Amino acid sequence: MSRRQAALKAHRSTPDRPAKRTQIPEAGRHSHLPEPKEESSRKALVYSKFYGGKVAMAPKVPVRSLDDFSIWYTPGVAAVSKAIEADPDLSFEYTGRWNTVAVVTDGSRVLGLGNIGPEGALPVMEGKALIYNYLGGVNAIPLPIRVGTEDELISFVRALEPSVGGVNLEDIESPKCFDVLERLRSEMNVPVWHDDQQGTAGVTLAALFNALELTGRKLRGSRIVLFGAGAANIAAERLLVRAGANPKDLIVLDSKGILHPEREDMDRLMLRNRWKHDIALRTNGDRVSGGLKEALKGADALVAAAGQGPEMIKPGEIAVMSKKAITFFLANPVPEMLPPAARAAGAEVIATGRSDYPNQVNNSLLFPAIFRGALDVRAKTITDTMVIDAAMQLAAFAREKGISKNYIIPTMVQWEVYPRVAASVGQAAVKEGVARRRLSRKESLSVATEMIENSRKVMNSLRRNGIILDPPA
Amino acid sequence: MRIRRAKQDDLGAVTDLIVRTKRLNNEFDPLFAVVADARARAEKHVLASMGAADKLLLVAVDGQKVVGVLRAELRERLFYEPHEEGFITDFYILPEHRRKALGNEMIQRASAELKQMGAQIIVADVPARNEIANRFYSKRGFRSLTSLVGKSP
Repeated sequence: MSRRQAALKAHRSTPDRPAKRTQIPEAGRHSHLPEPKEESSRKALVYSKFYGGKVAMAPKVPVRSLDDFSIWYTPGVAAVSKAIEADPDLSFEYTGRWNTVAVVTDGSRVLGLGNIGPEGALPVMEGKALIYNYLGGVNAIPLPIRVGTEDELISFVRALEPSVGGVNLEDIESPKCFDVLERLRSEMNVPVWHDDQQGTAGVTLAALFNALELTGRKLRGSRIVLFGAGAANIAAERLLVRAGANPKDLIVLDSKGILHPEREDMDRLMLRNRWKHDIALRTNGDRVSGGLKEALKGADALVAAAGQGPEMIKPGEIAVMSKKAITFFLANPVPEMLPPAARAAGAEVIATGRSDYPNQVNNSLLFPAIFRGALDVRAKTITDTMVIDAAMQLAAFAREKGISKNYIIPTMVQWEVYPRVAASVGQAAVKEGVARRRLSRKESLSVATEMIENSRKVMNSLRRNGIILDPPA
Repeated sequence: MRIRRAKQDDLGAVTDLIVRTKRLNNEFDPLFAVVADARARAEKHVLASMGAADKLLLVAVDGQKVVGVLRAELRERLFYEPHEEGFITDFYILPEHRRKALGNEMIQRASAELKQMGAQIIVADVPARNEIANRFYSKRGFRSLTSLVGKSP
């Protein structure tokens, strides 16, 4: 019997044939050393085939006998439908809508792989849904779709609204992603989140808060260089300014160099990428022009989200920064510059997107908690203030543990951070007037803790009962 | 912000802005691909316009800095009345000085000066696909008079 058959059989296992019990380490609390990439690629192929998908819809009501279907389904269910028809917001009470998030992509910019199409994006969206479930207790549905135009994508997502408590947009190419997010945020009454923008920018902000604190700086007055003008840094610029940075102290660079009001291609940007165009107008008060070295002269912090390293940024460029420089190299899998090289060039605090170096700026620290908090208060949207509050909570958690240059941001195994961030998001939503349900911080924290713990219990239980088997060798 | 006639000292800055106008036009249609020596041609074009009785070259200046340019010339309409037109050939404002009513001021100033020079109507040449410019003019009472159509042979 193949392992796959065994897995299917385990699903049908009867009490007289108990499923194999497996020894389970306490989920999420053990840290692990990352594996070499080739090894994780091999395993991903073997395991994906073995399990045939990472997530599935599962029942959450008892079926004591077939009679129960007259409650869960017709005729009983009609009463619930009529109640919701009279007040559509009751769909958040009577159905799973409140905890359901669609993970939507058109497959146009998947990981570092580019436009690989919706089918190619499916394993990634499944993985995302799994993280939502495990770290956030969110019922996430992977939904890569085949659409031709931006309008088609927007109209698909808009049409999903009745079924979901929120939408996570994923892996959509820039600058299309900005327009899509902006339009959907303004048109929909459930949160729409683009993780590559708000998620990455939010975690970056959290790490930056602590790096600034550690090096005795304030956000206002610090000179920050954003290298790369894609989804993450365009959102980071906006969040930084909302959080108190002076836009004139920010410098943003794209592949053509420093953005400034008189750059030759400003008219092209106005027509093709108005976000970059507007950034060029409001940042860079000193009108610095040129490349990275010119931008970094005397700068306090660098956030690079620009492309594959390891030598995209040169030591000579880091060396011109101010003393105790803060440098983030966020490209995955190869950072724009490797931490040892940055250290040698004079950087004090260094972060990357990778788990095998200290200070991993990782979206997974934020998005499960953001949606947990937003869903618990039935938020209508996720405002920038909610993201900033989440980032501040993430940073505060690390500060309580004691920050150092090798620890400016929590790690994914510190799972207690998730309910705390969720509660902050919920409170911010209430304050901003976008919550359908007003919870106190204490209530928010308790609901979030329970939801997240519950997900871990379900996972442990499924494994203990042999419904989820250990993977093949 | 001041609007005045261009002077010899403005040559470099005005030339730059004229080249930007042509590059902007190219964003709307590949048949406006800009020639390699655009700058040299623009400079000649600007020089020839300075001080000529039938040409108007206005600049908007912020302190010492030229931030906008408008070039127009008088043309005769052979078969139509009104007979004299003030024809706006180039009009450009740097991005950071847009949406502050400067364009409006420049158009009004140009209209007044062209009228004094003898123009009975004011016309402007913009790419058909430049919706921003077309909206700008139609908001100010301009209407589409002719349609210049084109294709590669």
